Amino acid sequence: MSKTDIEEASKDKLREMHCKFNALSRCDGSVMYSQGATVVIAAVLGPIEVKTQNLSIEGSYLECNYRPKAGLPQVKERIREAAIRDVLELALLSEAYPRAKMSVQVQELEDRGSIDACALNAACLAMLIGGLPLKYSFAAVHCIINEQGEFVLDPDQNETLHQQASFTFAFDSVDGNLLLVQTKGAFKIAQFNDIECICRAASAEIFEFYRRNIAKYHGSSAEQAAATKEGSNGDPPMET
Amino acid sequence: MSTNTSIIMPGERVTIVEDAAKSKRIILGPGLRRVDEKVVATKAGPLRHKEPNTFWVDNYQRRYVPARGDLIIGIVKARAGDLYRVDIGAADLASISYLAFEAATKKNRPDLNPGDLLYARVLNANADIEPELVCVNSNGKRGKLGVLQDGFFFKCSLNLGRLLLRESCPALAALTEELPYEIAVGVNGRIWVKAHSTRETVGLANAIMTLEQAGYAEIEKICGNLSGVMQA
Repeated sequence: MSKTDIEEASKDKLREMHCKFNALSRCDGSVMYSQGATVVIAAVLGPIEVKTQNLSIEGSYLECNYRPKAGLPQVKERIREAAIRDVLELALLSEAYPRAKMSVQVQELEDRGSIDACALNAACLAMLIGGLPLKYSFAAVHCIINEQGEFVLDPDQNETLHQQASFTFAFDSVDGNLLLVQTKGAFKIAQFNDIECICRAASAEIFEFYRRNIAKYHGSSAEQAAATKEGSNGDPPMET
Repeated sequence: MSTNTSIIMPGERVTIVEDAAKSKRIILGPGLRRVDEKVVATKAGPLRHKEPNTFWVDNYQRRYVPARGDLIIGIVKARAGDLYRVDIGAADLASISYLAFEAATKKNRPDLNPGDLLYARVLNANADIEPELVCVNSNGKRGKLGVLQDGFFFKCSLNLGRLLLRESCPALAALTEELPYEIAVGVNGRIWVKAHSTRETVGLANAIMTLEQAGYAEIEKICGNLSGVMQA
């Protein structure tokens, strides 16, 4: 498809990502995450005490709250919250902590497009930092078809004003399976497939971003481990 | 980047551990689990190995997960019949029997009130039942365990607690040169300190809290600064 190749050239890069770990002091793990001008804070608590009505002996109960920038959560926010919860439930290894609760809070700070994907990525990073047991990490990517029929990856808000269709995909890090698909608008199945491929390619960049930042977060401790004799380094010498 | 390669992410197969498992029995610590014949990570962080056969994923977790044998500091929350409920910072409140203290009998109960601090050992830790604590060893002696009187109590990261308890950690020895003090460090990220005066206690607590951000190289410097802070 020569046409899509030209279109991809128009905008096939994610906006710049930034994150700051443990921005909040009282939770078990938090992250302030931005994609372009879209910023969210995600925090996790867990495992913590669970209410009897939610208690499950088979696995932990997952609670997710999404707060908009101002005011109370409305229907739109509830849908987003449900989407985040669904993906987290798939990724969380809930049988590790039965009779406990995992609580995830996502606070939107600025919505300048791709808020769904941004909130999901922030939630994933917060889970990684909080040390919650996961089956895999995940990354969400947003893409639209604009009025010219071009694909725009990770669009800014002003680019989404006259969109034909919008897509959000979430992929897992191990098999690259789809965890979430959200679509809006009219599109052809071929376009859907193309966009899925584009988003899948972009998710690799997000996984690399996770890895790089977690390495940086653990970087200061690496020297410490080298100083002590007790903890040996990441490539342990192995005698067979 | 060398640091990049040693980081493992959840869901990743850890072949180094699988290879080691072929020749000997190995222990999978936190952050690793076995799925059929594969070893898979559940947490993100650098893979650590301790001779001869223990592997785990290092993670700056802030939530304490009880493990048998851990020394912890708990706060008495309530009394429920023969048990006391103790907050140890884990998912559930822990329980401790009134008979789990030195020289305690049915008639001679320990005098514990809500708010008291306990230095205790985790006797029983299981995901399905609440943790149980004891304040005596198997000979019925209290040793260093028991109620902590006076002093100053604060919370820190789990890593700082473990760091201070390492035999190779120079921090506590360096502080001893500055002033005499008593300390109880719980691996649940809680520390209790007591020195002769309030001023010394607070200075000591502050010095320990600054260690949280410090590497090994800075520990000596921070501990050395303490005497300067005291006189100021």
